[in-house]
Amino acid sequence: MGVENKSTIVALSTPGGFGGIAVVRLSGDKSFEIIQNLFKSKQQLRHRLAIFGRLYDKNGYIDTAIVTYFKAPNSYTGENLVEISLHGSPFLCDLIITACKQEGARGAAPGEFTQRAFLNGKMDLSQAEGVADIIYSASRSAQTASAGLLEGKFGEIISNIKSAVVDIVSVLELELDFQEEEIQITPKDEIIKQINAVSAKIEALINSYDYGKICREGVVCPIIGPPNSGKSSLFNAFLKEERVIVSPSPGTTRDFIEESIRVGDYQFRLIDTAGIRDTDDSIESAGVSKSKDLLNKGNIILYVIDISELKANVLQLSDEISEKVIYILNKSDLAKPHLISKVKKQFAGQQHYFCSAKYLTGIHEITSGMVKKIERLRQESESVFITRLRHKEALDMARKSLMKSVDSATADNPSEIIVIDLREALDRLGAILGKTTNEDILNNIFSHFCIGK
Amino acid sequence: MKHAFENIVVGGGHAGVEAALVSARMDINTLLITMEKTAIARMSCNPAIGGLAKGHLVAEIDALGGEMAKVIDITGIQFKMLNRSKGRAVWSPRAQADKNQYSLEIQKRVMNQDNLSVIEDIATKIVVENSRIVAVETINHGSIPCKTAIITAGTFLNGLIHIGMDQFSGGRLDEKSAVGLTESLNKIGIKSGRLKTGTPPRIKADTIDYTKVLPQYGDKDPIPFSFQTERFSPKNIPCYITHTTKTTHEILYRGLDRSPLYSGKIRGVGPRYCPSIEDKIVRFGDRNSHQIFLEPEWENANQVYVNGFSTSLPLDIQLRGLRSIPGLENAEIIKPGYAIEYDYFPSYQLKRTLETKLIGGLFLAGQVNGTSGYEEAAALGLVAGINAALNIREEKPFFLDRSEAYIGVLIDDLITKSPNEPYRMFTSSAEYRLLLRFDNADMRLSHKGHLLGLINDHYFKTANTKRATIKAAINFLESTTVCPADINPILQNQNESTIHSGVLLQKILCRPGFHISALLSFFPADLLSRIRQYKGLDDQIEIDVKYKGYIHRQIKQIDRFKRQESLRIPGSLDYSNIKSITKEAREKLHKFRPETIGQASRIPGVSPSDITSLMILLKR
Repeated sequence: MGVENKSTIVALSTPGGFGGIAVVRLSGDKSFEIIQNLFKSKQQLRHRLAIFGRLYDKNGYIDTAIVTYFKAPNSYTGENLVEISLHGSPFLCDLIITACKQEGARGAAPGEFTQRAFLNGKMDLSQAEGVADIIYSASRSAQTASAGLLEGKFGEIISNIKSAVVDIVSVLELELDFQEEEIQITPKDEIIKQINAVSAKIEALINSYDYGKICREGVVCPIIGPPNSGKSSLFNAFLKEERVIVSPSPGTTRDFIEESIRVGDYQFRLIDTAGIRDTDDSIESAGVSKSKDLLNKGNIILYVIDISELKANVLQLSDEISEKVIYILNKSDLAKPHLISKVKKQFAGQQHYFCSAKYLTGIHEITSGMVKKIERLRQESESVFITRLRHKEALDMARKSLMKSVDSATADNPSEIIVIDLREALDRLGAILGKTTNEDILNNIFSHFCIGK
Repeated sequence: MKHAFENIVVGGGHAGVEAALVSARMDINTLLITMEKTAIARMSCNPAIGGLAKGHLVAEIDALGGEMAKVIDITGIQFKMLNRSKGRAVWSPRAQADKNQYSLEIQKRVMNQDNLSVIEDIATKIVVENSRIVAVETINHGSIPCKTAIITAGTFLNGLIHIGMDQFSGGRLDEKSAVGLTESLNKIGIKSGRLKTGTPPRIKADTIDYTKVLPQYGDKDPIPFSFQTERFSPKNIPCYITHTTKTTHEILYRGLDRSPLYSGKIRGVGPRYCPSIEDKIVRFGDRNSHQIFLEPEWENANQVYVNGFSTSLPLDIQLRGLRSIPGLENAEIIKPGYAIEYDYFPSYQLKRTLETKLIGGLFLAGQVNGTSGYEEAAALGLVAGINAALNIREEKPFFLDRSEAYIGVLIDDLITKSPNEPYRMFTSSAEYRLLLRFDNADMRLSHKGHLLGLINDHYFKTANTKRATIKAAINFLESTTVCPADINPILQNQNESTIHSGVLLQKILCRPGFHISALLSFFPADLLSRIRQYKGLDDQIEIDVKYKGYIHRQIKQIDRFKRQESLRIPGSLDYSNIKSITKEAREKLHKFRPETIGQASRIPGVSPSDITSLMILLKR
């Protein structure tokens, strides 16, 4: 781990969760360039001047914001620095941080802004010891999560994953470091099978991040459906029937109306998409911009259909998204019994509820259905879930390296090549668990195989 | 006669001879102290040089002007390239040596070397003034002044041999051990520990039933170790394979009560990759059989090395055990197998030049550093010898890092990990393995050897020519488009899918399993003849093209690595006051006293956050 001042880093600088305002900071050579690509305003950004404008990512408008630009060396870090103040919603912050990363920034390590400030001489000597302590304690907490210090089931699962990778690497290294006469060669197919098995485990953990995030930030529930199906009525019905959590910043964007309700242990963030159907990119033409983004970001998608207007072809959704969908068959008060039973048949096998948003019937069934769906997500994550983005990113990268090693093995590359990707996967896992050394691999080899003449 | 000898090498094993020869060649008046001139470069254990990863070391020693490669090329009696079924990076040569010829050939070179004198004696004490070595005391020649000394005492320091319940002092079987030197080093503050190693029995060749064992020959088309070896047509004398049986294991098991290893008599730590046969049957009890290799110790030898049967069990058990092995029913033992415990000096006490951190001018090399193997020893001897010479000449020290050579990995592992079992080189220890190949050792290192005056102009130029040819060939492959009519017949021939429009040759070569030989006809005649001038160059071109992505990744990693390696830590740094570093890391850093941030980061117990804190302090 080295101090690399060249890269541009981005991070949320205010505490996570909901708040009146949130500040995202960018620091490094490319900060200015990155914000120029994301921020539109009538005024030019100028050193130390707070400018009001709008943030956009490649999918479109995100939020209004106040952006202040500090030119190096006159900034906190001593580098080009940008402070973005926007509404305090984790959802929006995620969007803007992701957008900055897409423009070339990387996520900042704990204490990295302060570290850069120190290294660029922005702090005096008496503060230096304190800085070291800050960095020390920040990465220390990451470290307690490492090398067997991770407690509970999460630690167990992660270290099982790691030792499975170490085993695979050992088998390959064994073949490279000991003569053929002494050992048995494991067939490539078997190696590939083992890698795929580990990879699947990692994937399950990655998926559990969604549940972890839900616990922290609330369940994102976009309400979608054809025009006049009753999205807004349903939205209002929820607010009437359930306990509303007053969010300090109602309506995080002008396009969506968002309110939070609490049901059981969960906070559901209802997003009324009614407002966007009038624009070009309505939900019906799914595949574009905001709507698509909402479908992806949503944890539960409430798909509202007016049963009296039920057409044979309901919007085609990808498998990934349709797993998240709950169908709300609205205006059941107007429907005749035979229609109801016909609709029931049509939606058999899919989670669906009848309701009348107008007369507030069936709302509790829907909310308890939403809780059920979240509970299922929890079960899928084997009661273990990851809550830190850092862990998710490490697992994501580990999985990518594993996939590369599978490709490599499939292409019949020699073992010392396959091992490069596998070792990279170990390095990635090392970000959670502490690094795997050559000695660890050799120890594993010696304890499992009888080698040496 | 003050400083008649500038550099003294104590010990004439594989480390000692490389150290003495290189130091003399660097114009340093050098003295080699050995117990017995005829024992110089004796092969204590198996009659072989090289092996996986070790072959890399030998090639690197060669590219830096050492002797081992050249001498085994002359005296080897069977050559084999190991791992041929794997990728090129892990190919490594191994040769059966004619033990007698090998040491005679080295002795000849030692005796004929200018600036190098040899005496038979035993060093007993290091004389230090102002933290610098000034003399070596010997039994028969008294105190011999020097500017530097290199201790390469192998297993001789307080060597203790075990055979069954018998134990007696010795440096090797039938050779005296060296007493006094360890104590002298301890007195000046250098810590020592105990290690153990072992060797199998030697049996009479004419007592083997060759109808029951399987001959194993070397390569028909052998590749020499040294890039300076030009005419190469070595002998190909076979070894023989047999295996232990259930009966063998039962016999050995019943002897365990008289095993010094299992009765607790041996306290030194032995190498896990070179386990004794009793260790194998105890630790892997489910195995009914272990392979045994019968290796002739020299040409027409009546003495055969029983590889795979290293043991310290009592002689009667050794003999009965051997006789339960197919082909060895009537075997007679010439020398029993034995274990030996000896003193070593934990390697955290060394700089990367192999000079001790404590005493200026005192270098340690070979098994006393806690390594095992002739190749590891020779590599360390070479580096210590070069640095002793540079030290005397008051020139900048010489070292190799992990990205440059296996030798760099070896030394870095020693000084940052300080292993407490005998260290052996593995390819898996080299993170930049793809770049550190046997076949490119000359291209990687001969410019360094040349700079030191240890590689002559001719071979230096050869390495440069090879490098230029590879580059030209890669350029050609990456810029030449081949049309379907020309390449499709070749592709069809190899059951490869054909192409429909022009494709870069490089793309064709990158197809899995496709070999460069099928593309050579596309090269212009002059380039082709340049490629063919050196054996194996086509393969090297292929690796560079096929694995370009991976090679590139390693090169990028090396950039990062080099940055940390270039951050020096002052030797005087007081770690005890650095509060932002964990207590464990403080202790480790104080003990190892790393020379660079890179080294510090590889010390077990020092975490990335400790390194960050350290870097912040150093930036101040």
